Amino acid sequence: MAKKAFGLALASTLLLAACGGGGTEDASGDDRVELTFWLFGTTKYEELAEVYMEENPGVKINIQEGDNTDHHNNLFTALSTGSGAPDLALVEINEIERYRDAQDRFINLYDYGAEELKGHYLDWVWETAENRDGDFLFGLPTDIGPTAMFYRTDVFEEAGLPTDPEEVSATIQTWDDYTEMANTIYEKTGTIVTDSPELVYNALRDQAKEHYFNENEELIVENNAAIREAYDRTVELIENGVVGSLELWTPEWGGAMDTGDYATLLGPAWMIAVIQGNAPNAAGNWSIADMPEGAGNWGGSFVTIPAETDHPEEAYDFVKWLLSPENQLQSFVDAGLFPSAPAVYEEEAFINHTDEYFNGLNTAAVFGKAAQQVESVYKGRNYMLVQEEILTALDNVNSNGADPDAEWDAAMKRINDRLQRG
Amino acid sequence: MEGGTKVKKTQSFGKIMLYVTLIIASLLAVFPFYWMFVMATNPSHLINQTPPVVIPGTELVRNFQNVMANVDFFGAFKNSFIVSISVTIGTLFLCSLAGFAFAKLDFPWKKFWFAAILVTMMVPPQLGLIPQYFIITELGWLSDLRAVIVPGLINAFGIFWMRQYIKDSIPDALIEAGKIDGCSTFRMYWNVVVPAIAPAFATLGIIVFMNVWNDFLWPLVVLQDSASHTLQVALRSLNDSYVNDYGMIMSGTLWATAPLIAIFLLFNRFFINSLTQGAVKG
Amino acid sequence: MYKDKWPGLLFISPFFLLFAVFGLIPMLFSFYLAFFSWNGLGPMTFTGIENFRLVLEDALFWKSLSNTFIIGVMGTLPQLIIGIFLAYALNSTLIRFRNVFRVAVFIPYVTSIVAVAVIFGVLFSNQTHGLVNSILIGLGYDAVSFTTSEWGAKIAISLMIFWRWIGYNTLIYLAGMQSIPKELYEAAKMDGASIWSELRYVVIPMLKPFIIFTVFTATIGALQVFTEPLVFLGRSLREEGITIVAYLYRDAFMNNFFGTASATAVMLFILIMVITCVNLLLTNQIGRSKWKGGPK
Repeated sequence: MAKKAFGLALASTLLLAACGGGGTEDASGDDRVELTFWLFGTTKYEELAEVYMEENPGVKINIQEGDNTDHHNNLFTALSTGSGAPDLALVEINEIERYRDAQDRFINLYDYGAEELKGHYLDWVWETAENRDGDFLFGLPTDIGPTAMFYRTDVFEEAGLPTDPEEVSATIQTWDDYTEMANTIYEKTGTIVTDSPELVYNALRDQAKEHYFNENEELIVENNAAIREAYDRTVELIENGVVGSLELWTPEWGGAMDTGDYATLLGPAWMIAVIQGNAPNAAGNWSIADMPEGAGNWGGSFVTIPAETDHPEEAYDFVKWLLSPENQLQSFVDAGLFPSAPAVYEEEAFINHTDEYFNGLNTAAVFGKAAQQVESVYKGRNYMLVQEEILTALDNVNSNGADPDAEWDAAMKRINDRLQRG
Repeated sequence: MEGGTKVKKTQSFGKIMLYVTLIIASLLAVFPFYWMFVMATNPSHLINQTPPVVIPGTELVRNFQNVMANVDFFGAFKNSFIVSISVTIGTLFLCSLAGFAFAKLDFPWKKFWFAAILVTMMVPPQLGLIPQYFIITELGWLSDLRAVIVPGLINAFGIFWMRQYIKDSIPDALIEAGKIDGCSTFRMYWNVVVPAIAPAFATLGIIVFMNVWNDFLWPLVVLQDSASHTLQVALRSLNDSYVNDYGMIMSGTLWATAPLIAIFLLFNRFFINSLTQGAVKG
Repeated sequence: MYKDKWPGLLFISPFFLLFAVFGLIPMLFSFYLAFFSWNGLGPMTFTGIENFRLVLEDALFWKSLSNTFIIGVMGTLPQLIIGIFLAYALNSTLIRFRNVFRVAVFIPYVTSIVAVAVIFGVLFSNQTHGLVNSILIGLGYDAVSFTTSEWGAKIAISLMIFWRWIGYNTLIYLAGMQSIPKELYEAAKMDGASIWSELRYVVIPMLKPFIIFTVFTATIGALQVFTEPLVFLGRSLREEGITIVAYLYRDAFMNNFFGTASATAVMLFILIMVITCVNLLLTNQIGRSKWKGGPK
């Protein structure tokens, strides 16, 4: 009622409202069930959706793609106001944390029989998509991001280091080895070892069993020796002068990847596409070895079904199909998405997958090995807040020569202050 | 006579200064735009290299083809045009009407209403996002161009601007004369005020058009369906932050900007005329 | 008494109706939220003035406030002064190709923020081979890490604001100058006035309403500077360049602390009101004692 009066009042005053028809209402009158699916990044899911629509003539999938940040912000706004959310939404692994307390905004996939699929996926990924009690499932896992050490063979060669991936993995097993390698390269060639403090710190951080919060959402970072050690190691590298100040995702960062301004890039499987895209001229100069002291996970997503949907059944059937092991293999071949379903790791097409860009390296094997080392870590709703403050401290040490201990203390204080606001 | 030569001298010195100022200002202003052109005509890896390229390359067409392959450029162009032109015309009309009322008419609580308009400008808009989105969904305007057009008509700056302009440029005597002739207030606005304030229309029109054309925070939130995307929203989705194909992004940006320069030239003619007439005499 | 009562009220009503729906409701909502703790999804908890206390006790809040003033003065004030000169030059009958120059000066304003962000990112790169750093090194100075240094960040952001908005203010002054009767210029010329005295005694006093307009809008604009620091600093929004609106944006949309963000917005609103009033009083003095020429 109120809504009507509201609309009427508007209509009478707005001279131009009539000109604005964008014509986006579905006037086609077909009786297919339409599922809107919000995506970000390069997934090539649109191709799979085409296949699905052919097999299921009663379903129409309408894909809307956006930039990563915009996508998650828009989803948050829609879920916050309770309207405008799609039938299906891709949610990145760190972003899912902020919805943990808001499970009423999503369909519980366990209500639709997701229990039977549990065995298809890696345990730790599956657990990340559950609520704390384990009786609510937010989404099904897409890909994962097991990490490894990308390195420049030309720089390694110039520094007199081995260049063959297996030899490199055998030589650089610990962080001490990594530091030594960094110093050698810097002495012999003048090249720094990494783009910025961020990736080294993240790699070190990801080897800790607990990060910033425990499962009761209590802040534990201050007394977490493993995180402090990650910080100190990064500081050590900074003090050795081997850490650059290239901010991630900037054109400079991409350019330096092409020209070989830094020797290693500690990143996940999906970084393959990033390197190939940013460094088309460096084919053959990049290779991949094991992460010192074991891999972590960076990224990966879940397909969720927001509670507003009118077609949860159809949406669930599509997700189940889209993320089945067979189709995960397809996504790996299409877009390099590393499967979260271990059954794929046995497939011929997966095992024998090689990449010419990396001198014909069997990338599936490298990251398959890394994937087995990954363990689930509880992140917490304010994970990014803590992460940003620690990175600020590291940037201050790196760019402004600030005192590392004072910066750590200041970061801890800022974290505590800011957390009071929630 | 002596005075005359002195005037000439100071004037020619002044003239040189004016030219120098304008040339420096123009170069500084145009340089980044030139750079945009350079980026739009080069492949991405040349832009990313250090130091970056500084001369236009040969990839103009290919970069634009990449844009076309990723987004519906012309569909978005059409949406942008509809939105910008509707908001511009609507704003010019509503603001000049309200500006006229504040400048020349007399009504209760006039000062209060005017102050209220100024106060609305002082609210930091960023926080209103969530409730505004809620209102749009209540009206059923998600992914509908009305979601951008209608709120876009609120323009306190425009009313303020029109009031300032009308107040000084239209003599009160003219209004009084109109009243004595029994002209209705709206006819007075339409027949007397509107023709007299062409330069104010031109200026405000340019400003509003540019702002609406380049706005992307709000359209990004409410125009979710890609068929309703405006240019800035469409270009935004080219910006896959993982791989920086700046050649493509800049190509899209360049072609999205070009029409604005055309619009500027078009509107600019309106208010240039009033002075060129004087120039003949001087 | 009010002869034009109905037309007057009718003419201003569309603005207020539209504003009531799309402006007032959101505004009231954020005032309301300032007294609650809310993460955007969960329940709202009433916390009284706790949000205000948290913000006022935050060193970063005060830092962002002082950044806003510094960037406002460095980025905005020169625009208003240089804008008058530019507009005067663009309006002068002495100049040929005025149209070309007008387009040139106005181009930055036309350029979208995406392009501006990329361009300034490359100009003010932290690396030693960045364009501005190359020049600094060439002149014998040290390279500056623009995003992390106290003044580097502020100068880069101020220049970005200056570059982007100078065309807008010039355009407004230009329009203002068009409304000055030609006879005034001619009278000044007859008196043998130099360009400088013409500016000082004819143009500036006659432009007063337009100067008030720009000072008013520029003050509000400067206090609400947001996009430039966001695109220049990226996600980190470091303390060297964070402005007050960027501060509240970070609180609300990056960390989902809507309560403190709203409290910040309320305080900013009050601050803008106070500063604008003071500013209007001061601007009103412009040209008051200088007015000598002109028709009697």
